[in-house]
Amino acid sequence: MKLTINGEEKQFENQMTVSQLLTVEQVKMPDMVSVEYNGQILKRPDFDTTNLKDDDKIEFLYFMGGGR
Amino acid sequence: MKPETLAIHGTTAGNGFGATVTPIYQTVSYAFDTAAELADVFAGKTPGYIYTRIANPTSLALEKRLADLENSIGCIATSSGMAAISSTVLSLTRSGDKILAATGIFGGTVSLFENILPRFSIETVFANAANTETFISNIDDRTKLIFLETIPNPSLEIPDIKAIARAAKKFNIPLIVDNTSATPILVKPGDLGADIVIHSTSKYINGHGTAIGGAIIDTGNYNWRNGVFTDIKNTSKKAGPLAFLSHLRNLVYRDLGGCPAPMNSFIMLQGLETLPIRMKTHCANALKLANYLNDHTKVSWVNYPGLPASDSNQRVADQLNSMAGGLLTFGLGSKELSEKFIDSVKLAKNAANLGDAKTLVLHPASTIFHEFDEQKRIEMSVTDDMIRVSVGIEHFEDIKNDFQQAID
Repeated sequence: MKLTINGEEKQFENQMTVSQLLTVEQVKMPDMVSVEYNGQILKRPDFDTTNLKDDDKIEFLYFMGGGR
Repeated sequence: MKPETLAIHGTTAGNGFGATVTPIYQTVSYAFDTAAELADVFAGKTPGYIYTRIANPTSLALEKRLADLENSIGCIATSSGMAAISSTVLSLTRSGDKILAATGIFGGTVSLFENILPRFSIETVFANAANTETFISNIDDRTKLIFLETIPNPSLEIPDIKAIARAAKKFNIPLIVDNTSATPILVKPGDLGADIVIHSTSKYINGHGTAIGGAIIDTGNYNWRNGVFTDIKNTSKKAGPLAFLSHLRNLVYRDLGGCPAPMNSFIMLQGLETLPIRMKTHCANALKLANYLNDHTKVSWVNYPGLPASDSNQRVADQLNSMAGGLLTFGLGSKELSEKFIDSVKLAKNAANLGDAKTLVLHPASTIFHEFDEQKRIEMSVTDDMIRVSVGIEHFEDIKNDFQQAID
């Protein structure tokens, strides 16, 4: 399965949900990340039930603040 | 998960000790091992907390849980409901813009729109939102946002949110809905098409009158990339659909300083856990009290959207999960009789709040609306004999007995 994660193409052998991808990718602060899935923000309760498929585009977003 | 479960088992801020409740991260700043790490967080290259005025783990847990309950994409918690409204409005408007707002909404919001915003040449047009056609006829090319309350306090005249949302979408104007009085247990305004949801969390979400707070929630319905708000569109290059909240977090909210105290966010998280069961009891008691007052010979009038005679009754069925909220108003025919009633209640407290577990009564004309003249108060649906009741979750017989002795 090919996924584009934060603009970078990656290959994965196993099927997985968004929650599992957070673990596999060792995403920082997984409780606080927002996930953009194919252009739409995924609601948190859907992380466990959204099965990723070939060519999906995922962005991990944080809006915790940073300087300007 | 259902709301009852989400309210209890939603996001918690991580802790390394297995604590079963979200800890209170009572800190101003957050230390980093290297200069480069902190620089990366400032640049937004890596997640992290910098300063509690911008973000805090306890408050972020509250934000995630509120967003989930509103079936929305994100949330920013604020120090009060008014901080939520002022930050939102100042994010979306600039000199020369216009706001279209419902009449009969909270006096504090009206004061912001009428007394503060005109200093920055932002004009507000108030119109009766219960009549959709009349209301939306006020939209023009300067209108930058539409503001409603799900159960307007104190008019209790419920607008047709779905119809107004359709009109707002046609004109690319974000619809902002203050859902304080209904809470997501009765309605999720985003599901009806609203773009931003506001809460004063001090009310039902807190539920016990112990802390002030607010929230700004992006439902995900508005396309911030459409170019109506140029600065937010620019933010969307980095933040995607979270552009509005990112714009708030990294500019307006950050610079206005309306952040919640971490302790208050903890208190709101506690309140959320029992919100679903409390709302059901508030609504059930309010309906019983409205019926009791309606049948009382000394009561001149009763306004409760849950009464079949109310003009808003069908909208309670259509929009509010058939629960009409915990607020009602009634009159005893004169200001003197209404004040005498307030002086005579024993169980109910005379207090300027709502959504408390305790039953609260208030004379709006001489309190929240005292700064407006009589004509303006009538336009705002506030009569001199109006008593506002925030019906609590005590046993109904005790509430009824208290009202009975105070009226008689």
